[in-house]
Amino acid sequence: MKKLLLMLMLLLGSLATMLAQRTITGKVVDQSSKEALIGASVFVKGTSAGTVTDVDGTYSVSAPANATTLVISYTGYTSLEVELGTSNVVDVELEAGVNINEVVVVGYGTQQRRDITGTISSIKGSDLAASPVQSFDQALQGRAAGVNVSLPNGVLNNPPVFRIRGINSINLSSFPLIVLDGVPTFTGDGGNNAANNVLSNINPNDIESIEILKDAAAAAIYGSRASAGVVLITTKRGKEGKTKISYDGWAGWTSAARRFDLLNAEEYVGYKNEAARNANLPDQFFLETINGKTVDTDWYDYILQTGLSHNHGLSFSGGSSGTTYFLSLGYSNQEGMIVSNTFERLSGRLSLDHKLGKKVKIGTNMGYTTNFNAAPSTGSLPGQSFGTSGLGRIPLITAPNIPAYNADGSYNIASNNQPGRYRNLQQVGFVNPVPIIDLNSFTSEAKQLQAAVFVDVNILKGLTYRTQYGVDQLSLENISFQTPVHGDGFGTNGAATNIVNSLDRWNWQHLLTYDFSLAEKHNFSFLVGNEQQRTTSSSWGASRTVIGDPFFTTYQGNFTTIVPAGNGQGENYLLSYFGRLNYDFKKIFLMTANLRQDEYSAFAPGKKAGIFWGASAGLTLSELDFWKNSLGNAINFFRIRGSYGEVGNNNGIGDFASLSIYGSGLYGANPTTGFAQAGNTNLSWETSRKTDIGINFGLLEDRLTGEITYFQNDIDGLILNSPQAPSKGIPGNSIQTNIGSMRNTGWEFGLTGTILKKAKFSWTSNFNIAFMQNEVTALAAGNTDIFTATAGLETANITRVGQSIGSLYVVPTDGVDPATGRRVFINAKGERILYSHVVPSGQSRWTVQGTGATAPAVTVAADGKIFGPVLPTFFGAWDNTFRFHGIDLNVQVQYSGGNYVYNGTKAGLRDQRFWNNQVEVLTRWQKDGDVTNIPRPVLGDNVSNGSAFPISENVEKGDFMRIRNITLGYTLPKSLTSKINVSNVRVYGTANNAFLFTQYTGTDPEVSTNGNSNGAPGVDRNSVPMARTISVGLNVGF
Amino acid sequence: MKNSIQFIQKTGIALAFIGGTFIFSGCNSEEFLNPVPITSISDASAFATPARILNQVNGLYNNIQSGQVYGGRFQVYHDIRGEEFLNETTNGVTGFQTWNHTLVASANEVNNLWNQVYFTINNCNLFIEGIEANKAILGNDALANNYIAEARFIRGLCYYTLLTLYSRPFADGNGSKLGVPLRLKGEKSDGGNDLARATVAETYAKVLEDLNFAETNLPANYSSALLNTTRAHKNTAIALKTRVYLSMQRYADVITETNKLVPTAAPFKAASGVAHELQADITKTFAAPHTTTESIFSMPFTDVDLPGTQNGLGSYYNPGPRGIGDFSLNLTAAGIINNAAFNAADARKKMVTVVGTKTYLNKFALGPQHLDYAPVIRYAEILLNAAEAIARTSGVNDRAIALLNAVRKRSDASKTFAAADFADTNAFISALLLERRMELLGEGFRSLDCTRLLLPIPGKANVATILPTQPDYIWPIPQGELIANKLCLPNN
Repeated sequence: MKKLLLMLMLLLGSLATMLAQRTITGKVVDQSSKEALIGASVFVKGTSAGTVTDVDGTYSVSAPANATTLVISYTGYTSLEVELGTSNVVDVELEAGVNINEVVVVGYGTQQRRDITGTISSIKGSDLAASPVQSFDQALQGRAAGVNVSLPNGVLNNPPVFRIRGINSINLSSFPLIVLDGVPTFTGDGGNNAANNVLSNINPNDIESIEILKDAAAAAIYGSRASAGVVLITTKRGKEGKTKISYDGWAGWTSAARRFDLLNAEEYVGYKNEAARNANLPDQFFLETINGKTVDTDWYDYILQTGLSHNHGLSFSGGSSGTTYFLSLGYSNQEGMIVSNTFERLSGRLSLDHKLGKKVKIGTNMGYTTNFNAAPSTGSLPGQSFGTSGLGRIPLITAPNIPAYNADGSYNIASNNQPGRYRNLQQVGFVNPVPIIDLNSFTSEAKQLQAAVFVDVNILKGLTYRTQYGVDQLSLENISFQTPVHGDGFGTNGAATNIVNSLDRWNWQHLLTYDFSLAEKHNFSFLVGNEQQRTTSSSWGASRTVIGDPFFTTYQGNFTTIVPAGNGQGENYLLSYFGRLNYDFKKIFLMTANLRQDEYSAFAPGKKAGIFWGASAGLTLSELDFWKNSLGNAINFFRIRGSYGEVGNNNGIGDFASLSIYGSGLYGANPTTGFAQAGNTNLSWETSRKTDIGINFGLLEDRLTGEITYFQNDIDGLILNSPQAPSKGIPGNSIQTNIGSMRNTGWEFGLTGTILKKAKFSWTSNFNIAFMQNEVTALAAGNTDIFTATAGLETANITRVGQSIGSLYVVPTDGVDPATGRRVFINAKGERILYSHVVPSGQSRWTVQGTGATAPAVTVAADGKIFGPVLPTFFGAWDNTFRFHGIDLNVQVQYSGGNYVYNGTKAGLRDQRFWNNQVEVLTRWQKDGDVTNIPRPVLGDNVSNGSAFPISENVEKGDFMRIRNITLGYTLPKSLTSKINVSNVRVYGTANNAFLFTQYTGTDPEVSTNGNSNGAPGVDRNSVPMARTISVGLNVGF
Repeated sequence: MKNSIQFIQKTGIALAFIGGTFIFSGCNSEEFLNPVPITSISDASAFATPARILNQVNGLYNNIQSGQVYGGRFQVYHDIRGEEFLNETTNGVTGFQTWNHTLVASANEVNNLWNQVYFTINNCNLFIEGIEANKAILGNDALANNYIAEARFIRGLCYYTLLTLYSRPFADGNGSKLGVPLRLKGEKSDGGNDLARATVAETYAKVLEDLNFAETNLPANYSSALLNTTRAHKNTAIALKTRVYLSMQRYADVITETNKLVPTAAPFKAASGVAHELQADITKTFAAPHTTTESIFSMPFTDVDLPGTQNGLGSYYNPGPRGIGDFSLNLTAAGIINNAAFNAADARKKMVTVVGTKTYLNKFALGPQHLDYAPVIRYAEILLNAAEAIARTSGVNDRAIALLNAVRKRSDASKTFAAADFADTNAFISALLLERRMELLGEGFRSLDCTRLLLPIPGKANVATILPTQPDYIWPIPQGELIANKLCLPNN
């Protein structure tokens, strides 16, 4: 009956409008690619008349004769209103952009952006696809407010440091949860010396959109795993219509963005001999002549290169009325700025959607990728900073007055596994890099299947059921060979290690959603769901040493011994039930509430379950009449929103973390058992209480949209390695305990707008900036400080209550004593203590400035002071796109600051062992009265410049501004492309990491030697520099 | 109507899906939520079988066999602190700062050795408590006591190990200076971080208590030469006591203990328990199978149980390709290798490798797999301990000279000491200390023989002599301990 009434009303309505009609036709295309947009809606403003475009992008709509305006909108594009003139043909170009009306992927569903009251940033896949990167996460730099993504250095496929609203854990991972088409996937570095960010298995070309869930309301549906934020990746799917083929390719040249200026051979010999004389030694270093030429080696020449990369993507999509498909192939082959550092990926992806009648839809998406990474020992991955074979450090410290090759062409290596000294009386290097680059190899290969099948059943109007079963199978094979000739393999007469690691996950979800409206005002959407996820892991391998014949270069060759390596087995399981309610009243008042219970296997019995929830509400003032009548013209959209919730974190906890465990080993030939882990029967979730308050607005019919958000994240029950006095003998000197707490607070500002829009010229701009603070509020065992070491050898970071996490803890220094040329250290009492590395027997190396009285040795433990924070207090990006005719220009500026960096590399560059130094050391102290910050060099001195322990001389500000990206593109005119039966062609050139402006004296203030470490961020220690990539690309659509 | 049927069918399928899953989760979720590790053992079943208990005993040895302790580094540290070796690699990871006496509280060797030794102590404590509670599993109280004695032997060795590096020598104030924290109970949970250092005397008392218990309760011997060398028996405990008493300068007690192992006259061979004696050829002691009766206690290694990278004795002392050659022998007059008293014909002097202008110790020749057993206690040391104690208590006598000769003549037949060689006791002691440097080179005695007597640690190259009054005379207390244990005082 109701239906009948409705039909009648519609009929009457159309009758009325039929009285005076005109038919308007036209075509809707993408502004940049000129591709037809299929399914774009075309409405006549002020009427109910409307249609959608067909497979060619064309439409035809009947409009009343008095209609004045057409409204054209399309998901992911800025809606356009076109004044109707006399012509009945209206062709429209839509500009891709963030549109407040678009559909946004949220946890376990989608929502209209207008309806969202949580905090979600959306990034289009097309913004990332052309970046010369290995993985999509590397390309997220500066893309969203409050999301700080930075590359640790220029090693290929090194996982970026990825922090959503700061560091949200101390001991567990602060890397966000990455969900690929509804299935949480693996993250992290799966490689060996060859970094292998497993997220590189997702071809950036296949990504339709990325949503970053930042607050509790948006993320709480992921309950236990939402503390560090959630990143939802949606891959491309087919659309009805004729087959579209597109090709995207680019080629790039990668080189080091900055390098250090080091002493040449003559300067080195002069300077180091001065240091020798200051140490009461005769001259130690001498120039060498080979074949009539003075040896002057720039070791960088053997390590850095301009790497050539190319990347290709080919995709097919389309479908008939019942079935749509998307098929993509990708190939990437990249060379890094470090010699023999390569990345290769071959990927395929297929998604299918098929309607079984009107009520049921089935579908699948399957991606299979193999990647292959190769790298020398860069010494630039977390934990490697002090490796003697690290190529980050070798060019800085190896003496320039020795050659890489001897006159006869052989490697310059000595029987003690060092570079040959020639006439020098001292060691002059740790390792000659050339043979280890030539003869060692480290590779990491991944094979990953990411697949899911789903069934949607439309049970009743508004009630749908979906079940999705997904698998994620990742197999990693890490292979290394170290030559017996020189370097790390020398001590074992060669070494070959193969380790295979298999990770297997299944994820099964059941979702029931029910959408309905009451009285056309109250809109409800309910979701209830169940999710189970089980992951098993198994790794095994072995190391073979003592090579049988130098001929062999692989594990399968002949070696005399073999020991097991990399063995492990684990499993974990997550069982969840959850629900969500979205409600809005005429789009004026909106709210969302989430509730989720998670049970996770790694936590202690009785403590496995956690209940998490989040709620948000928004009031759209601009929908109210008073607003529409007063401010509506200027501010067309204005909403106040807020959210609060409690979410959890288990990301990174060991599978058996709560258990007390005895491990096993060998004593000679006998098996052994021994205490290996002190468990904790109370171990449970870390919880975050997240508060968000913000406004969203649209000005001048959304020409300018923006949001301002204040957030606070109180994290409790942080699982800390509660420090145990080493004398207690607890394994690892720690027990994992839910004891810490921490707070992140901040502001985010985002503005997107069209600054200029003329017929042939436009300037759109996206600006974001976030201000952030971190404070640790409680730690274990009476708030015992946590010290986190860099590569286990140098401890520059402290986590202390009342301070920002991972602040620097170093001994304050104050230049150089002008009278003696000794470094001035300030001890805990405020006394100015001088250090002299070489003193007569019985005298102290530590004396009081001025008096010369003996002073106790300065130590970090006794005399350290905090410098912080090391996390930027502000960061953001300004992204500008200019279009003129077919030309597009994108310039992305990135900025960050307010933080300190520990430039440990500088300690090495000034170290007075045999190490080469930066040219600045030539300004060293030489005579009474010299004022300089370079102490009198004394051969062997590793204290005065910060190698023995960190000093404030090496603490620097990390402020910078970077031209992250410049892209200049040109789209060929339609008139030209149509002649060759091509729908669009765009060529472009890109400079990535084009310019850096900073006072920082290292290679780059964003260098993160410790990668994603929570406890030791902001350390730059012996890393290779950042890379700069210049690339050219081509997009073609058929 | 047809639609309705289809609808019902499809709904049915959907509900079956949902129902199926919930049933599925009901079946497996408990099992999945409570996974049991399959590559390690729960603490609840660590004492479940006699075999596993024996594995734990071996585990205790395994802990001190760690490359950080008696697998290599402990011996290396004591040798390179002295004047016998020159550093070749300036590598902070391989003892450079120990060699040039620039260690700070945060240095790795200072922390790593402490941590591993205390880890071993805690394992001993947990084992002692665990076996008391699980004697029934063994069903053999005598065996249980053997095991406890082994644990206490290792614990005693551990505390003694700490005293030699982290505390002032006993001779400085007769044990009144700060020793180390005495942890005597098993630790498995949070809390109890703060514990003050006992005095040196108190710590030594604990060491002796453990070793006396061990001597009483250890078996006299095991079933094989390998076990006699790698697990503690009665004579092992006695032998260690001779060293401990020597460090305390309790020379009468040294004699009491050495008398249990050394007859009053040649041939010198232990009369009870394992028949320890010198081998005719010293090189046999340092060659496979490394289990002669001269080796009272050694750390065994196999192809799959190696000291680890940069840990093995051979890694430090062998030049490439058999090692990294971090330390070469000091060829100046200060180093023992070119000491005038060290005859060229001496078999021990021949245990070197010459590469170019460098000479390396070749006592632990196997490499690059460092399979040489790391010596902890050797019968030659016991003879020298006895000789020194006798001379210090009774002056130079025939027995003392005979013991010294036993060690010397085994390697250098050309030299026979006689009473006339020694003007006084001091002259004998000097010769004896020189003999210790020749005999025990590379086995971890050099700085110990300085500190126990409060002698300066001689300098080398451009490293100055360290006087007993200087802080660098001993190691600093590790930073890790100072931070977590508020009652632990630093060394200054």
